[in-house]
Amino acid sequence: MVTPTRIDDLIDVVRAAASDARPLRIVGAGRWPEAGHPVQAETTVQCRALRGISHYTPGDLTLSCGAGTTLAELDDATRAHGQWCPLLPWGDDAGTVGATIATATSGPFAERLGRPRQLVLGLEAVDGRAQHIAPGGRVVKNVAGFDLTRLLTGSWGTLAVLTTLHLRLRARPAVDESWWIRDGEAATLQTFARGPHLPLAVHRTAGGSKGLDGDGWLVRLGGNRAAVESARAALRGCGTLEPVATEVWDRVRLIDAPPSRALTWPWTPLAHRVRAQFDPAGILNPGLLGEVA
Amino acid sequence: MSLLATALADVVGAAQVLARAATLQVYRSDALPGLRALPSLAVFPATRDELIDVIRVLATHAAPFVARGAGTGLSGGALADGITLVGLHRMRRILALDPVTRTATVEPGVVNATLTRAAAAHGLHYAPDPSSQAACTIGGNIAENAGGPHCLKYGVTLDHVVAAMVVLPDGEVVALDRGDDGGYDLLGAFVGSEGCFGVVVEVTVRLTPDPERIITLLADFTSVDTAAEATSQVIAAGIVPAALELMDAATIGAVESSVYAAGYPRDAAAVLLVEVDGAAAGVEADVVHLSGLLRDAGARGVRVAHDPADRARLWQGRKKAFGAMGRIAPHLVVQDAVVPRTRLAELLRTIEAIGARHGVRVCNVFHAGDGNLHPNIPCDTDDPAEADRVHAAMTEIMTACIAAGGSITGEHGVGIDKLAYMDALFTPATLDAMCRLRDVFDPTRRANPGKAVPVHACREWHAVPAARRVVA
Repeated sequence: MVTPTRIDDLIDVVRAAASDARPLRIVGAGRWPEAGHPVQAETTVQCRALRGISHYTPGDLTLSCGAGTTLAELDDATRAHGQWCPLLPWGDDAGTVGATIATATSGPFAERLGRPRQLVLGLEAVDGRAQHIAPGGRVVKNVAGFDLTRLLTGSWGTLAVLTTLHLRLRARPAVDESWWIRDGEAATLQTFARGPHLPLAVHRTAGGSKGLDGDGWLVRLGGNRAAVESARAALRGCGTLEPVATEVWDRVRLIDAPPSRALTWPWTPLAHRVRAQFDPAGILNPGLLGEVA
Repeated sequence: MSLLATALADVVGAAQVLARAATLQVYRSDALPGLRALPSLAVFPATRDELIDVIRVLATHAAPFVARGAGTGLSGGALADGITLVGLHRMRRILALDPVTRTATVEPGVVNATLTRAAAAHGLHYAPDPSSQAACTIGGNIAENAGGPHCLKYGVTLDHVVAAMVVLPDGEVVALDRGDDGGYDLLGAFVGSEGCFGVVVEVTVRLTPDPERIITLLADFTSVDTAAEATSQVIAAGIVPAALELMDAATIGAVESSVYAAGYPRDAAAVLLVEVDGAAAGVEADVVHLSGLLRDAGARGVRVAHDPADRARLWQGRKKAFGAMGRIAPHLVVQDAVVPRTRLAELLRTIEAIGARHGVRVCNVFHAGDGNLHPNIPCDTDDPAEADRVHAAMTEIMTACIAAGGSITGEHGVGIDKLAYMDALFTPATLDAMCRLRDVFDPTRRANPGKAVPVHACREWHAVPAARRVVA
């Protein structure tokens, strides 16, 4: 296990591994499951020490941080300014920003608040050739150069090791409330979800696993007071509303995570070519995505 | 006719191949003045099969090519300098439009506004709305990852593309998706690749429900600084307007003197055009909040437009502002840069000083909510001395935007026009990685050669056979 504290250390580790064709297993906080395909590597590179918020101007609604920063640390820093980085991925907040972006893990609010690839403005990374690259930037709109940021987002550490992320933030909703609807019908709730009130989430829950008695629907509303009140009035048409604390979503994120996308990786000729360009020695997380050469 | 022209004519018919200099003149520039280049050939496929066969013929002849939509691009990206131009305007069918999944599948030559009109019957629209939307094509929008005023709330083209079938420069046809179910985000890499990765054959895009209520505000200010600061305050207050545009006095003057007159106050130093949309109750609350906020931030007046005709008039002035500047000078050099939103006021002061120093007049009309500047310079690019002054001023403006932590383009692309700034924005290793990404899709580098990323940045220049220049 190596835990680089500086990007230069990481570059040295990757360069040495690439020259010996020695596989590396890349982890953030080390909390991510094996995604079905264990990585065979003697050396684990832990990115947890590449941490901390390096740049945050609340008025810009952008933030830069080390890949090893945890989601909880990110949440604490932005909450103070009434903002958040609404990744809120499946899993818990002890995971790192880097792992969330590397796996492009979204969560129950992705449809409304943005998927990881919509929230990453730019990044820094060390690719499989030990090149330190810095595509994108810290501004919210940017089409300069080919989009390596998008390519690396969701590439599961098989093309490059993420070291720094530039993220888009959003203001937290002025009013944020969640409701449990025991007797809701799928058709009416789906219509509500697609309608003008734009709920943050409409989520089907199964059973008492969340301390809620039986099957039902969880709905989260957010916006200015008038918007939420009119959304709530419309939601009453979907069933009987029982208030629930916002924390219920932390449990939803832990329990209702979908199966890993890494299991069904399409190894097309283009995908092989991408891998060959960015990790020609095949040292970054080999096997994780079930690739066959 | 050359062998290549004959082979292309076999695919699309002789009438759809242009090979004489006189007939090719119309394709010698895009919407950016000052850059001109004559293609050696132009070919216009009408169907998916014709397009694929055209690309295959070009591959067989190892011929470089440039794909072109409507030629409304602002970075010289669609110029074909002595090579083949593949015009896609005949591929303009909407293949499917599904109001249930809220998607449409279209050919690359479908005009942006045409898609929105087709979706209107279902209460839907195509959200990315570049100012050229009445002419620009979806294929061109994908190549440039085009933006527009409403991208502030709804996101740029990339956020609205679901899947695409593309033909790679070697003639292979591949389906790209976003990797939501696993897979590298090759669609994300393709969108915005400025025609250097291949050509869109068909694309599926998301359609957005029309909002229940739309209200447009016009706030006028006696100083540009105050207007820029007001922008930052709106963003910081957590309101997400559908659009937030700033126009300065020079722009207001041009618009109000033109047929696009929108009723902007002529004595204002700047106006902000702010639009909010969504469910009715929330929108009306936002308007109350915004009106107060804008007045507190120094607005002299705030006009609220509810009526569609009134709103359309306010927007026409903004969307046609570039055209209106034709009143000032024969050419308009349109620039596109991005800065952090809290630094807008500072950068606008810097830009004004740079313009004054070089004796050029800068007209600002831009997407303030995104920090996406468009410092435009009306001028006569045929006057070499003036063209030099404009170039010098633009270079300084771009340098200042980079120094402020910004970018050299928010939505127009790099094309040829901005290649020179790429080294200042990215490290050599980053530019080299971009070349490697290109090599995944186009290892022979025949698709739109020499655009987007400077060739000198590509370290491992492969032993590619010299691209054959076809002389018609």
